[in-house]
Amino acid sequence: MFRFPNLAWPKRILMALALAVLLASSGLIAKPKPAGHYGYGKAATAAEIAGWDIDIRPDGRGLPDASGSVEDGEMLYEDQCAACHGSFGEGVGRYPVLAGGEGTLTEARPEKTVGSFWAHTSTLFDYIRRAMPFTQPSSLSAEDTYAITAYVLYLNDLVEDDFVLSKETFAEVAKLPNHGNFTPDPRPDVDAKRCMKNCKDPASVRITSEPTILAEEVAEDTPVKAASPQEQGAEVYNGACAVCHNQGVAGAPKLGDKADWEKRLSAGEETLIKHAIEGFQGQSGFMPAKGGRMDLSDTAVAEAVKFMLAESIN
Amino acid sequence: MASKSVKIRGKVKDGVAKVKVLISHPMETGTRRDADTGDLIPAKYIQEVVYSHNGKAVMTAYWGTSVSKNPYSAFTLKSATVGDMVGVSWSDNTGASGENEIPLK
Repeated sequence: MFRFPNLAWPKRILMALALAVLLASSGLIAKPKPAGHYGYGKAATAAEIAGWDIDIRPDGRGLPDASGSVEDGEMLYEDQCAACHGSFGEGVGRYPVLAGGEGTLTEARPEKTVGSFWAHTSTLFDYIRRAMPFTQPSSLSAEDTYAITAYVLYLNDLVEDDFVLSKETFAEVAKLPNHGNFTPDPRPDVDAKRCMKNCKDPASVRITSEPTILAEEVAEDTPVKAASPQEQGAEVYNGACAVCHNQGVAGAPKLGDKADWEKRLSAGEETLIKHAIEGFQGQSGFMPAKGGRMDLSDTAVAEAVKFMLAESIN
Repeated sequence: MASKSVKIRGKVKDGVAKVKVLISHPMETGTRRDADTGDLIPAKYIQEVVYSHNGKAVMTAYWGTSVSKNPYSAFTLKSATVGDMVGVSWSDNTGASGENEIPLK
């Protein structure tokens, strides 16, 4: 039979209930979470995705439904672009040149413009829409972007002055004059074949050897010669220690400063190596443990110290 | 579209036109050498530029080798109205020449 263990319980339950109602009404208790999520965020709405999804493919896929003429583009260009790019796309000062330069790609100083170098008009449209004008990126409407794109094409003598660029007419100018000189790179990203059936258990896959091609090439070309301790020391020094010890940064004893090193060596080579490995607060400065390079082995640090002593005192 | 050696933009505001001109020209001084062969590149530079308003020459410029490649020039023109023709013609030391004429906007 159910009974309350003591009289205080109903009161507590009531209070808890009251608190729960308060919290729920004030919105402090989260709504039920969708399964499989971490309990925050929300699904993006179609409108939100459309706001981000503004890329345009070389064939014109993704272009907005709008149009813009060379004529409109001229006014917009003069207002928003010409201050830097010049009225003729010639580029003011060191700002990018937009037009001209045809036939200069093989010269010592090629002039890479929309007409002389670029491959696709989609790049031009996308770039103007995302990044221009320089001081107010992404401020242009779809119509304005079409118009300015059309005008830049006109500056490059690629369209007539009555041309109207739109989703429909884009195909006429989708490929720019230098398009054919770009070639696809046929090299695959990776050499691995995708396994679709009877695959290995991922847990059993281990790296069993170093890349064989490299190892063979080394074996054939040059007899493998283990680096001597001195060489190792020099290598570690150049990679890790030289930053400070070359110039004497932060009170570090400089490489080649015989007097300074001899003073320190009076404590014994072992002590110096110990200080280098574990770190040391000295009178002139501070030596971080292994110079801050905790990936180095104790032996490597020791070799570097010996190298520095040898270079400085002998 | 055939590329013209002279590009002109002109816009009228309050009876004054601001005209900008870009001429495509190598402007070789004749003292530059070809990097590969070491031969001098023959001189080719604009010597005379005539700016006209409705067919009447309003300014003539005599240029030399110190003017840059693809020279840009700009000027203002008084008592201009929309539709007036503004023309620019040039001739260089080799006898080559070019011209263009546009209506003011």
